[in-house]
Parts: sequence; structure tokens; C-alpha cells
Amino acid sequence: MKQNGQIVYAQNLAKSYAVGKREIEALRGIDFTISPGEFVVLLGPSGAGKTTTLNLVGGLDRPTSGALSVAGQMVAEGELHATERSLDALRREQVGFVFSEFHLLPTLTAVENVQVPLVWVDESGRDRAEALLCRVGLGHRLTHRPDELSGGEMQRVALARALINEPALLLADEPTANLDTSTRDEIFELLRELSNEGLAILFATHDHELAERGDTVLRLSDGVILDG
Amino acid sequence: MSLTRLAIKSLLQRPARTLLTIASVAASMAVLFSLLSFNSGYQEGLQNQMQQMGVHLMVVPIGCPYEAASLVLEGGDIENYLDEGIAGKIAGMEGVAIAAPSLMHAIVRPEDGRTDIYLGINEKQLELKNWWRLNNGEKPDGRLLAGDDSLLLGWDAALIEKREETGEKLWVPEIDAEFTVTGILEPTGTQDDGFFYVPLHTAQERFGLDGQITAVQVRLTDPSLAADVGDELEKMFPGAEIIRMEELLGSMSALMDSARALIFAIVAVVVAISAVGVLNTMLMSVFERTRELGVLRATGAGKLHIFSLVWTETLALTALGGLTGLALAAVAARGVEVVIKRFVPMAPQEAMTHFDPRSALICVLAILGVGLVAGIYPSLRAANIRTIEALRSE
Ligand SMILES: Nc1ncnc2c1ncn2[C@@H]1O[C@H](COP(=O)(O)OP(=O)(O)OP(=O)(O)O)[C@@H](O)[C@H]1O
Ligand SMILES: [Mg+2]
Repeated sequence: MKQNGQIVYAQNLAKSYAVGKREIEALRGIDFTISPGEFVVLLGPSGAGKTTTLNLVGGLDRPTSGALSVAGQMVAEGELHATERSLDALRREQVGFVFSEFHLLPTLTAVENVQVPLVWVDESGRDRAEALLCRVGLGHRLTHRPDELSGGEMQRVALARALINEPALLLADEPTANLDTSTRDEIFELLRELSNEGLAILFATHDHELAERGDTVLRLSDGVILDG
Repeated sequence: MSLTRLAIKSLLQRPARTLLTIASVAASMAVLFSLLSFNSGYQEGLQNQMQQMGVHLMVVPIGCPYEAASLVLEGGDIENYLDEGIAGKIAGMEGVAIAAPSLMHAIVRPEDGRTDIYLGINEKQLELKNWWRLNNGEKPDGRLLAGDDSLLLGWDAALIEKREETGEKLWVPEIDAEFTVTGILEPTGTQDDGFFYVPLHTAQERFGLDGQITAVQVRLTDPSLAADVGDELEKMFPGAEIIRMEELLGSMSALMDSARALIFAIVAVVVAISAVGVLNTMLMSVFERTRELGVLRATGAGKLHIFSLVWTETLALTALGGLTGLALAAVAARGVEVVIKRFVPMAPQEAMTHFDPRSALICVLAILGVGLVAGIYPSLRAANIRTIEALRSE
């Protein structure tokens, strides 16, 4: 498989779900690549297959067919699939996730939430977690719990959590969907900066306004990537 | 951050439910620990008391019922007697500290529905029963048996006779004799309380059994000599039966074994109930936190991490409950003991529920067992959630 130093390489990637006797084709064979530091916006309406794409790239789900490699590691190639353990390790080491719902743990403080991914690698990293929170502009909210934070602040904590393992790739599933426009722009700017520093980002959204601001736009509709 | 810390933080998500579960584990562990340490304390206390009684061997005529109760049942008279001379011979044997002869005789009074048991004793008996106390607090001595008409009353005997003072007279028509009460014994909780003690020679005279006795109670310088001395006694006195007190202890232990079986059955039920409680709590927690567990998988947790996390939560829950229970039981033990002593027959006088490391160990193992077993199923459920569905769930 040719990768040419790509962080993500997807070829003819397809995914269908079996719902009862029906087959739902969520992705009908898409091709794309993401280079280090590239900011890719995955634009598409609801049901287009954005989350499905992110799940496949993050190793949370397995493609039905096609080839996919992430950070130099083969995830799927035809009939071959990476083991669940190696996909876990891939997420632990190379991939960070942010979601529109933030998904913070309610009983943990901001710093502790950021430290969660380190639990799996037996590290404390409190200092790094605090530094990262400062980096995303939350130095003054270290010991606040999620219910004491605004939506924008929660998403910053979630972002710091996604970055604590120093991933090569950030998968963002409509991270600004639950934020007002100005907060949305702040978060987006933050991601732009990170991407300028070398982080590859796959940013799923249905927000056309944001599409122009990425390096690359993938227009997804009904499981296929449209030209242009 | 460590997995343990994350586990404990997760338990705080539902503080009320966590506390309730901890409380229920604590309650069952408190019951468990109390029962176990009571059981062991009871046995130990009983054994101490038997030991303290300091009667290691008893020499009785062959076929002689040596329990006062049997004596009463069999009509009030002992057929066989021993010669009182053997008491002196036994006293001279190596390893024997005290040999106390006694003559037992029952006076049956069917019209009053009672049987009085008279025991002829000498000062050796007082030496042997060195834990006896008079109701005025003094230690009984030979003066109590000095007069021919001396009568020392056991606590219950004094109650039956309604005697409270020394110096009172007691007329016994059956043997045409009058005695003077020289002392009343404090209760001992044993059959000694029911006896009428008179000087040995007076008993022999009044009951027409000159030179005869019904038992010699022997204390050894070292209880471990009981087997050897017992064998020798058997050789020396073929017409006598030698009772080793260990045998009595043995049958007591058999009794205690069955008590223990019952206790362990209760323990098993208690442990099972708390295990089901913990299982239920953890399962609910896993169902409620499905999405959160999906998020953890997204941050790189493997199935094993999730399994360990939920298992650690279960263990933390049970360990916390268990330790609380042990602490509670230790504090409450005194109070429980007072209640128990009132209802359990032959409860030893001394403290029964002192801290018993063996019971504590059993409890700790039980706690661990509950945690491990009750944790397995919820942990497996948690480890096997489907990540993408968990992330989509509300
Ligand atoms: N687990 C599943 N089982 C069955 N069908 C599914 C499953 N997940 C997704 N789908 C279907 O696949 C299609 C693409 O879903 P996907 O979640 O990727 O869309 P999306 O672009 O993320 O939409 P949205 O903007 O609403 O999040 C949809 O038709 C959806 O119903
Ligand atoms: Mg989606």
C-alpha cells in the first residue's frame, strides 16, 4: 500500500450496516488522504456518513471493504483487518477524538479529565495536563468540574484531553455544533493553530461557513465524496 | 492519574447509591465478623474456663454417674464407693498437685419437688476450687468446715433454702441433723452452685458411709501430664474409673462444632446477599455509564482496561464497606456481648468478643471474594460494550 508519509490513506473505503434484512450503505467507497499538519474539513448534511468515516479512521469500527491506513499502520486492506488491540493502541498513541457533546466525565475536574488517556499508559502527566489546559486558554479553570464550565470551556477541556497523548491526528466530530458562533470561531482558530504546528485534523461538520477555512474540503453526500 | 483513582471518582457519580451499597456490605461484614469472633471467643473462653477449673482428672467408682443430674435421675443413691485412703495415695503421686476427695449424697424430697445434693468435702476441695468466693467477697478457707455441723451453701442452694446469713441453722429431718451455715458461695455458673457442702467426715457419719468417698478430683502440676497420670491411676486402682477432663472438653467441642456449622451457614447467606447487592449496583452503574465507557474506549482504553476499571470499582466498593463493617463490629462488640451473655447458656465470664485476627482474616477474604465474584459479570459487560453504539447512546 502506498502511503507517501500520509497520516491517513483511504481508498475505496466502504461501510454498510445491516439493519434487519436491509443493508444500509453509509459509505460507498470513498478515497482521500490527510498529510501531517493538514486541516481537512469533512462537510456533509446529516446522514451523509461523517461520523462513520471518523469511526473507521479512529479504529472504532471496521470498514466493509477498501483500504485504510492511519499513521503508517494498516487498519484494513480488503479482507485483512487490524486486531482490536492494535486499534486500541493506535488510538492511545496516534489519534485524539473530540465530539459535539464534549463527553467529559462529570465527577472529574478539568485537569483530571485531561489526564484520562494517560490512565491507560500508566502515566500521571499532571503537569502536562495543566500546561495543555493553559495552552487552550483554560489555565484559570483547572479544578473546575464540567458542570461548572460553559460549553466552550468544556470543549477546550475535551480538546486538551484529545491532545494529551500527543497524537498525529485529531478526529473532530462536529465539535462546534453545540456552541454559539463566536465560541465556534474561537475553537476553530485554536484548531487552526494546532494544525499549523503539525497536527493533522479531520473536522466533520455540516456548517458550510467553516468549510472554506480548512486546507481541504471533502464534500460528503449520501456516502460518496463529491468532486470539487 | 491512576486507574484506582479513576475508579473511585466513578463511584462518586452516584454518591447515594454508592453509600447505600457500602452500608449494606458494611452491615453484612459486621454481622459476619461479630458472629465469627463471638464463636471463637466463646470457644476460647469456654476452654479457658475448663482449664481454670483446674480439675484435670477425676477418679470415680466404675459405673458411677459423675454428673449430679444423672445422680438425681437414677434415684438418689450411688451404689459404688471408693475407699477414702486412695485420695492420700493419689496425692503422693508424682505430678499431682492436689487430690480432693468428696462424698456425694442426694436427699430426695418429692413432696417439695426437689433433690438436695450434699457433698462431703475437706479443705483440699477449697484449695482445688480456688476461684470460689464467699458472698462477702472473701476467699473461703478451712475454717468454714471446721465444725462438725458446718454447712457451706452454694448460691442456688442458699436461694432454695432462703438463707442469707451465716450462723443460721438448718434442720435436715431425713438424717436427723442440724447444721450451721458458715458461708454462702458467690455464683460460679456451674453445678457447684446447687450443692450443700458439709465436712467430709460429717457426711460419712450422717450418711452411714464411713471411710468411703464417691470421687477424687485431681489437679496436676502440668495439665499435659493428664494422659500419663491417668494411665497410672488406671493401673493402681482397677476398681475405679478415670475421667480425663479433656474428654469432657472434647464433647464440648463437638457441640461447638455444630454451632459453628450453623454460624457458617448464616455467614454464607449473609455473604451471598451482599454479593448480589454489589452485583446489582455495579450492573446498574455499567448500564448507566455505557456512553462514558465508550468515550474511554475512544481515548485509547482497551477491553482489559475497562474490565480492570469496573472490577477495581467493585473491589473498592466492597473493601470500603468491609472495613467500615469491621470497624463497626469492633466498636459494637462490647454491647453485643452483653446481649449475647444474657441469652447464650454457659457463656464464659470473660470477654468473648475480643479482636480475633483469624476472624478478621476470614472477613477480609470474604470481602475480597464478594468483590471479585460480584465484579466479574459487570466488568465483562463493560468490557464488551460496542463502542460506536455506546458513543451514540444517550
Ligand atoms: N450503527 C448503525 N447501524 C445502522 N445504521 C447506521 C449506523 N450508524 C450509522 N448508520 C447510518 O449510516 C448513515 C450515515 O450515518 P452517520 O452517523 O455517519 O452520519 P453523519 O454524517 O454523521 O450524520 P449526522 O450529521 O447526523 O451526525 C446514516 O444513514 C445512518 O442512519
Ligand atoms: Mg454524525
